[in-house]
Amino acid sequence: MDSIYEQIKGFLEKGETLAVATIVSTRGSTPREVGAKMVVTAWGEILGTIGGGCGEADVRREAIEVIRKREPKMVRVDLLDDISSDSPAVCGGIMNIFLDPWWKGQEEMLEKENEGSS
Amino acid sequence: MKGLVEGLIQVKQEGAAAVLATVVEVEGNGRVAAGQKCLVRDGRVHSGTIHHEELQAAIIREAGVRLQQERSKLVPLDLPLAGGKMEVFFEVIPSPPKLIVVGAGHIAVPLVRMAKVLDYYVVVIEDRILFANRERFPDADEILVGDMAETIKGITITPTTYIVLITRGHKYDEPCLREIIHSPAKYIGMIGSRRRIKACFQRFSEEEKIAKEDLQRVYAPIGLDISTETPEEIALSILGEIIKVRRGGKAQSLSGH
Repeated sequence: MDSIYEQIKGFLEKGETLAVATIVSTRGSTPREVGAKMVVTAWGEILGTIGGGCGEADVRREAIEVIRKREPKMVRVDLLDDISSDSPAVCGGIMNIFLDPWWKGQEEMLEKENEGSS
Repeated sequence: MKGLVEGLIQVKQEGAAAVLATVVEVEGNGRVAAGQKCLVRDGRVHSGTIHHEELQAAIIREAGVRLQQERSKLVPLDLPLAGGKMEVFFEVIPSPPKLIVVGAGHIAVPLVRMAKVLDYYVVVIEDRILFANRERFPDADEILVGDMAETIKGITITPTTYIVLITRGHKYDEPCLREIIHSPAKYIGMIGSRRRIKACFQRFSEEEKIAKEDLQRVYAPIGLDISTETPEEIALSILGEIIKVRRGGKAQSLSGH
């Protein structure tokens, strides 16, 4: 199977902007570990998982926003809130997730901005 | 994001180790923004959008530590001249761990199968072609047939290599152990009863002048104590021990029972 990065490349080549969601820190019991990744497309499709359940749905919603604005964002998912839900992913911890927009030509664009400001 | 994504794909394809560092929060002076990142490989910046030299140097330094611990982490940095206070996430992309199984007997079959499920790169070494073949090990990455001690001598062993000695007898395990006892392998396990292992270590320390500390790193008898009965269960207990060594667990029931 293609690695997640090959799949990302495929989307970027088509001109899509993606949001790469990464768990950067956790507290308490969480479904997945620091470093786990999920990629969200502009259409809301998901590759990979950061644990499923309600947390993932929230992240997906925020990700679409991040894609639209092309600005990164830190999102905190509190799994304690889910305790009464039927979600199978109830763990009771907190995850901090970094949502990062990736698109083709981003590096060149940032490079130009840098030149402009210096 | 061309260079970076391609760099990441290359790392995965080559089975290399790397670190992707991403600035996720900045409190500072506007020289660095959240989302800027760089890929560190072989001790230098491979690609990315962080160009400030001081920040690059700090990232390369921390990436080395992260890689050694094989653990991704959010790290606060404070560089007054290069962006101020910031949080940088270091994502470790480890090279896939390599499992070398010496001896292709009845434990090796489930061991190799399970290790592939766990995403190890698996090498099987055996001197009998009747045992070392694709029919028995369809998932193995490499099956090497030949004198086992000679064969393992020729294999690159790194700190992400795990070695399991489960040949058909101590006569075969011992020469293999001699070849790898000074290697940087993260784990060396050897099958056998306590009595036999004691005798083997005795011989090693007396006749071959192998230091006690070197012998102490060998996990023998092999595996976790879960009262195994079948070859499959033994394979599981060996892999449990390998995960424990790799990740640093205590191997007790989380419930305390």
